[in-house]
Amino acid sequence: MNQNHLAIASVPMQNWGELYSEKDALHSGTIFKDLDMPFFAVAGEEKKCCCGVEPKSSQEMERQQIMGQITKTGFFLDDLTLFLDTHPAETDALKLYRELSQRHRELKANFAEKFYPLSRNCITDSEEQKEFCWTDGPAPWEGALI
Amino acid sequence: MWNYEKRLQFPVKIKTTCPKTAQLIISQYGGPDGELSASMRYLAQRYTMPVKQVGGLLTDIGTEELAHMEIICAMVYQLTKDLTPQQVKEAGFDAYYIDHTTGLWPQAAAGLPFSAIEFQSKGDAITDLTENLAAEQKARVVYENLLRVIKEPDVREPLKFLRAREIVHFQRFGEALEKTKEKLDEKNFYYFNPEFDKQMLKDGPFLS
Repeated sequence: MNQNHLAIASVPMQNWGELYSEKDALHSGTIFKDLDMPFFAVAGEEKKCCCGVEPKSSQEMERQQIMGQITKTGFFLDDLTLFLDTHPAETDALKLYRELSQRHRELKANFAEKFYPLSRNCITDSEEQKEFCWTDGPAPWEGALI
Repeated sequence: MWNYEKRLQFPVKIKTTCPKTAQLIISQYGGPDGELSASMRYLAQRYTMPVKQVGGLLTDIGTEELAHMEIICAMVYQLTKDLTPQQVKEAGFDAYYIDHTTGLWPQAAAGLPFSAIEFQSKGDAITDLTENLAAEQKARVVYENLLRVIKEPDVREPLKFLRAREIVHFQRFGEALEKTKEKLDEKNFYYFNPEFDKQMLKDGPFLS
């Protein structure tokens, strides 16, 4: 479309480009290298997650590890979703979305089976569960989820 | 219908109680450019959007903003956990404490309560999308103002994440505006209101 319109805002459409790894994407706040525009006051700071709580047991270590993967794939899907909202026919993005959402679902099912369900939808997935257990596990705001 | 997942979009683990920092960060819960305001703005605007794709985007960003609100609330909660009466007085958190103890209540840093007056749902696609572009920029500045004065890495990490999201959302709203322009009269984008004068849209109302 003609880009020379007066009296209206214009933002160029983003092209599909280079992506961060799942870990770097979460710490950059975007999966897209092209959209990573840090603030000067944070320049030079290491991109890391602040949540290095020392796991007390091997079970807790495993819980944190799977939760970490869920967080990373979940965020990748969040950012990909917004891209697909405005680029619905981008085949590379669609393919990646399909692969990742499959893995994300498996991770959450695995987490529900081993630890506790993260959503109401996972509650009855495991036959091991003998009671309705939406209250199992820490609340997200307790800082214990990774 | 919404689904809740019992996890934060970005993890928050703050080790040191600091009511002073909580008092600043709470603005992104209930302040003029906060996450609650953002979420309510986008979720309110989507119903009458003439381009379906844009309604979808508003739903997804409005939903993400709810997750951001949860991150901010988790930060305020952790910063005021195990607060002593002494800390309350020393850190200037006393006025908030009198009304809310350490409960979460949406207000701006300066104490102004959350209000729908902070945002608009104008019923005109160009106007609303232009408002959203500005809203993302305003929120970005708040995060930058916070990052300039807050030193604790535990607090900075989620703030950096949330700031980055504002830039991504700005890009998406810009693209949504481009999608909307395609459906309008390109000689005069203001010839009619695409949310009200639907019969005048190219190819009919509610386009995908």
